[in-house]
Amino acid sequence: MTNKNFFEINNVDFNVSGKTKVKNVSFSIENQGDVICLLGPSGIGKTTILRTIAGLEKINSGSIVLNGRTISSKKINIEPEDRNISLAFQDNSLFPHYTVEKNILLGAERNKENKDKKISLKEIVDLLDIFHILNKYPHQISAGEAQRASLARSLITQPDLLLLDEPLSNVDQSFKEEIQVRLKKILNKLKITTIIVTHDSYEAFYLGSKCGIILNQELKQFDDPYKVYHFPNSVEVVNFLNRGILIPAKVTGKNTLENWDLGTIEGNFIKEYPKGSNVQLLLQPEDLEHDDTSNLKLEVVDRKFRGTNFIYTLKTPSNTLIPVFVHSHHIHQHEVDEKFGIKRPIHIDHIVCF
Amino acid sequence: MFKNLNVWFFLSLTISLFVLIPIITVFSSFFENTSDYYQILKETFLIEYILNSTILLFFVLLFTFLLGTGTAYLVSFYNFPLSNFFKWALILSFAVPPYIYAYSLTAFFENYGTAYTILKNLFGDNNYNQNIPKFDGMFGAILSITFSLYAYVYILARASFLYQSQNLIELGKNLGFTKFKSFFKIILPAARPAIVAGLSLVAMETLAEFGAVDFFSINTLTTGIYNSWIAFDDLAFANRLSFFLLLFIFTLFIIENFSRKNAKYHFNNKGGFKQKEKIILLGSKAFLAFIFCFFVFFMSFLFPLGQMLYWTIKFPENFFDLQVFNLLINTLHLVVLSSLVLIIFSLVSNYGNRVSNNKILNIFSTLSISGYAIPGVILAIAFISFIAWFDESIVKSFGLFSIKKIFIGSILGLILVYFIRFYSLAFNGIKSGYEKINISVDESSYLLGYSKRKTFMNIHIPFLRNSLLFIAILISLEIIRELPITLILRPFNFETFATTAYISASEDLLEAAAVPSLFLILIAALFIIITSKYILRDNDK
Repeated sequence: MTNKNFFEINNVDFNVSGKTKVKNVSFSIENQGDVICLLGPSGIGKTTILRTIAGLEKINSGSIVLNGRTISSKKINIEPEDRNISLAFQDNSLFPHYTVEKNILLGAERNKENKDKKISLKEIVDLLDIFHILNKYPHQISAGEAQRASLARSLITQPDLLLLDEPLSNVDQSFKEEIQVRLKKILNKLKITTIIVTHDSYEAFYLGSKCGIILNQELKQFDDPYKVYHFPNSVEVVNFLNRGILIPAKVTGKNTLENWDLGTIEGNFIKEYPKGSNVQLLLQPEDLEHDDTSNLKLEVVDRKFRGTNFIYTLKTPSNTLIPVFVHSHHIHQHEVDEKFGIKRPIHIDHIVCF
Repeated sequence: MFKNLNVWFFLSLTISLFVLIPIITVFSSFFENTSDYYQILKETFLIEYILNSTILLFFVLLFTFLLGTGTAYLVSFYNFPLSNFFKWALILSFAVPPYIYAYSLTAFFENYGTAYTILKNLFGDNNYNQNIPKFDGMFGAILSITFSLYAYVYILARASFLYQSQNLIELGKNLGFTKFKSFFKIILPAARPAIVAGLSLVAMETLAEFGAVDFFSINTLTTGIYNSWIAFDDLAFANRLSFFLLLFIFTLFIIENFSRKNAKYHFNNKGGFKQKEKIILLGSKAFLAFIFCFFVFFMSFLFPLGQMLYWTIKFPENFFDLQVFNLLINTLHLVVLSSLVLIIFSLVSNYGNRVSNNKILNIFSTLSISGYAIPGVILAIAFISFIAWFDESIVKSFGLFSIKKIFIGSILGLILVYFIRFYSLAFNGIKSGYEKINISVDESSYLLGYSKRKTFMNIHIPFLRNSLLFIAILISLEIIRELPITLILRPFNFETFATTAYISASEDLLEAAAVPSLFLILIAALFIIITSKYILRDNDK
């Protein structure tokens, strides 16, 4: 990695209580103001990564560099209070004996010498809609409100690097998307470099310009959200995102494959395979189209109503279960055990195989 | 193991090691020679000491269990006349130390005492003395200690009853249990850890009790330790006796700690907790509940208070002879200095433990809080032993001046031993305050740019402010009542209410002991009233 990057993690093992949680991690954030998200299942070590970047845990290998300064390595460990990094914890970490307003103002004391302050208390309060709780104490507010107050305290410090640990996990679903929009806007406006840890892939795909997937003690993929979703680089990432299945297929040409149940599948391979290779094809729910006039008919074994769409689970003759999205206004609703037509020929924009 | 070593770690370790000095001294004395007194005692009184300590312990435990659990059950589960008043009034007995209770008991029932005067005024001259029961000797000591200490059981049992969910009570009803059966099958077993914790505290205090047993001339292990030092000048033997007593007390200490951990289960008020609704008692049941609680309140607080007040009024010359203002200044002097020292060092030690998170330090801290289990007599004597050894072996070998005068018979020495004695009270009090501060609060503070020192000063101290005030008052309460340490280590001509009362009583001038006792009770009661909400952990209004 080059020294031009704003933030870098180079070959770091992340440990907590002497146990390695994530091994040999390297990634970088190129520009100040970029937002990246780290995705992974619970307990995988995402929080450990944030705590280590913040200086609350030490490292024994590799280095962490912020704005050209090494802040963590085997020999160097800048104290948390000297890093100008802010971490908003997942759980309530507000000072219990101060009101929400005082809590936020304590955050404002950091960098107060910074004359060109770009955000005021009022702006933060409006942004996160916490005016009504300013005079309350942490024990008097809900978990979601506490999380927003904690976020406000972190934002107002205007740190060099902002770390958010599941920042909206306790916020009501109805309010969550609105807060995500506002958060994205403010991070862009203030140009605060941010690392967000979450297990919500939609949140990560929306907020992050890059996403890292952490699985089995490793950073498996670090890429644009679009690429992570459409071009997952391993079976583990596919399984984690849970947005498709792998079916056996044989490469029959430059742009075609053959599956025993579905027949010919066309599309653009993202990686070349020799003709005749046996591969595992990633089939995502949106890859197949419904067509009752088609002669390719599969049996419906389950139907989930998801508001904007249905997810049908279809069984092939070889007993493979395939998910298919259908718009919920679709007039032909198929019951379980009925037949469901699939449009042929099957065309997939990006063919991902393993 | 040695990660996170910093100045806070070393400060905490030093404090813990200092508090451990008496225990180390007592244990090391096991290898020293003793005088002939050891042989004499072994052949004469040792069995009596052990026997008396055991009898005293057994009956005090029995009576404190009955009074403490009984009153706690009534005020927790039932509404009857003045039940809300009794809820906190029953802890006022803490204001009356056993030795003052002993003076009151003797003063009331002795020949031509207060009981005699009352009967004479009511029914005229007669030989009432032979009909008035005499509460002295062992029975007197048992009663004095019981009425002074039953509140330990009351407080812990009540807290446990208070947090017993209505669901538990309803479960009993659902199973068709009678109230009697519910009490013995559900309520009492659920509160058992709390009651055992209370009884363990009573046991430790009973074994450590000096004033009352000395007044009634009961020879126990504690008075034996005092006598072997005062009468036979044999520090090594005093320490050896202490060693045996400490083994006994440490067993209780472990039981108490174990019970307290279990007791936590019963304070869980999350999920499914339903506040109990108290049952309203009517008629004779209400009257009996009232009478029982009033009897305990009267006997434990009003009776000694009334007796001391009566004598103060009857013999006003004692009030004028006594330099009350001086005693008050002396007492407050000790209280303020000790509270400050204890709170400052306990805060530092707690914070050191928190930021170092070091196993070795945790072990030393746990050992050091055992100080409260060690009788004051032992602490004072072990401290003198240590200073004498340090003076002879270290200071003089460097050709320096003796340091004995600096530490023995001085305010400094007195405060240092109070520190060791009450360190656990301050340390644990602050620790429980600290447990309410999530560690992520500290981390947030660092991430906001606060150093460890600033986090301590700007975040922790303001948070702990109320706890610190409460702990300061509790320490004050203990120091006002404290007798043996003050008696042994106080400077020449420096008296407190407690020592003045003791000296007057030991010279058979009980009337003169009344004034300092009365002041002691009133000041202590005031402190108890101020802190009653915290002591009772009371959230039910």
